Amino acid sequence: MLIDLKGVHKTYDNGQPLHVLKGIELQIEKGEFVSIMGASGSGKSTLLNILGILDNYDEGEYYLAGKLIKDLSERVSATYRNQMIGFVFQSFNLIGFKTAVENVELPLFYQGVNRHRRHKVAMEYLEKMGLTGWASHYPNEMSGGQKQRVAIARALITHPEIILADEPTGALDSKTSVEVMELLTRLNREDGVTIIVVTHESGVANCADKIVHIKDGLIEKVEDNRMHHASQFGTDTVMK
Amino acid sequence: MRHRFDFDTFREIGDSLFRNRRRTILTGFGIFWGLFMLLFLVGGGAGLKKLLGATSEGFASNTMVLISSNTSKPYKGMKEGRYWQLNRKDVERLKLLVPELDIVAPLMNRWGQKAYYKGNSTSLSIKGISGNYDKIEAPLMKYGRFISDADVEQNRKVCVVGKRVYNDLFPQGGDPCGEFIQVGSVFLQVIGVDFSSGNISISGNASEALLVPFSVAAQLYHRGDKVDLICMTGKPGVRMSSLEPRVRSIMAREHMFDPTDDQALMVLNTEQIFQIIDNLFRGVNFLIWLVGIGTLLAGAVGVSNIMMVTVRERTVEIGIRRAIGAVPRDILSQIISESVVLTLAAGSAGIVFSVLLLNVFEKIVNALAKEAEMVSEHIPFQISFWTAILAALLLGVLGVLAGLAPALRAMRVKPVDAMRDE
Repeated sequence: MLIDLKGVHKTYDNGQPLHVLKGIELQIEKGEFVSIMGASGSGKSTLLNILGILDNYDEGEYYLAGKLIKDLSERVSATYRNQMIGFVFQSFNLIGFKTAVENVELPLFYQGVNRHRRHKVAMEYLEKMGLTGWASHYPNEMSGGQKQRVAIARALITHPEIILADEPTGALDSKTSVEVMELLTRLNREDGVTIIVVTHESGVANCADKIVHIKDGLIEKVEDNRMHHASQFGTDTVMK
Repeated sequence: MRHRFDFDTFREIGDSLFRNRRRTILTGFGIFWGLFMLLFLVGGGAGLKKLLGATSEGFASNTMVLISSNTSKPYKGMKEGRYWQLNRKDVERLKLLVPELDIVAPLMNRWGQKAYYKGNSTSLSIKGISGNYDKIEAPLMKYGRFISDADVEQNRKVCVVGKRVYNDLFPQGGDPCGEFIQVGSVFLQVIGVDFSSGNISISGNASEALLVPFSVAAQLYHRGDKVDLICMTGKPGVRMSSLEPRVRSIMAREHMFDPTDDQALMVLNTEQIFQIIDNLFRGVNFLIWLVGIGTLLAGAVGVSNIMMVTVRERTVEIGIRRAIGAVPRDILSQIISESVVLTLAAGSAGIVFSVLLLNVFEKIVNALAKEAEMVSEHIPFQISFWTAILAALLLGVLGVLAGLAPALRAMRVKPVDAMRDE
């Protein structure tokens, strides 16, 4: 069991308490490709933050690769994030004044890997993404799809336990969206990377083998989607 | 343990500083200017002090000069306003009664005299001196020798000429010793040339003076044993101001004026003059440091302020870094390093610039001073190596302090902030 959430509760307290997660129970095995679906305000972003050790929760337990993730210090949670989680964000979140390869290197920089080795590994991952020729380009010189592939390379470089993708296609057109989702699917199939995608697009969610529907802070249902025809839009994998 | 202190650490810093070059330069300018001001003023102030010291060179700093004047109080039946004069017996008297005195030298002077030599003439002031006068105002003998006790005792008609007098009378240069110059109706044989240039001197600039044995001057102007001034120096460790009351009472008893009559006997104490100059420069120094440190602090506050803005602008970037594994200490050290690098770079430029400018300043001032014959030695204006090192250390500390507040703010950035849309 890679991820094990037991009765996780989360309440935001900005003026008046807002009970966002009301007892989440979720198990994800290694090598799974899971999507978390829900309308905005359903609590899916909060769940993602907790899964990514970006935020704390109030009640329950969260085990990641056998380790209890609860009330960690900033220092420890940063180290866990670095070693166990790769993030892919909607807006790519590359650092603008760094080249593609430097962006990919960054997680290894914070691991203290030496410069030459870091560069070599980063180039390998860029090659995997088909971006060798773009290594020394800055993010603003690249298309959205290229940027997202750089971001995926950055997420992969530390061999994390899971890739957390937050609306990875949110800022992409439909053609590029398909390419990015195919890339994630391939990573899951060929390299056995565990991938969790948070989305509100059914087409994107349909790429996953398992769809977790979340509604009002509770898991509504977990859908087995190995046949990939989850929704009415699913069969033809139409996105947007 | 992760080691991070490699080339990339510097690249990270350089990248973020060069991203907004103009802002970085403008921010650094505050530090640059502050340090430049501080060092330039410190160097310049010390140089000026030395310059002033050099203009009074050769003049014993523990000298006391007595000048007689009209009485201002009636005493023993005598009316006020009576004139009295110092005489040569007073010299012996003071030597005898005040053992703390080292040199007691009588001085007689005549202003606006004329001297002639082979068709050249010049105006000068005659100073009648004793053989020990060189202990009061040190001469800088270019040729020949100074007036000796024997010259005084034997009434030798000899003289030592000052620099300007020498230049006027002997425009062709060369050693004038042995030549005779005419002063009034007598001829005096030149025995020496005094090139001293100190601007503090008793009765007239040394370069415009003609020094003659006291006895000769007294004869020349029919002065008997009257003395215009008595110059005295104390033995080592003696404070001249502490001798003043005793000197005053001795003179009062002898010349029958009220011992409390301050006007009857004027006492000039160089110790006090030097004290005043010293205090003045202490005040100037204090101001220099106040202004310099103040400007520097203002620069540091500027750096802190701009870094604060930068951190706010970089919230997303910092958030990304945190999300992909930067621990808070990484962020803290990055922001502080940026601040330190900025202040050090700008400050070093300030140090270099002030050293260069002080160098130019030193050359100009020394050239001017030489031309005006104010000084005979080179006056250094440059700050010392250790002052520069100290300034650099101070800068490092300032850089850390300036980076502290922005770094603490940056540390509070949560990785969740990266998820928010730009």
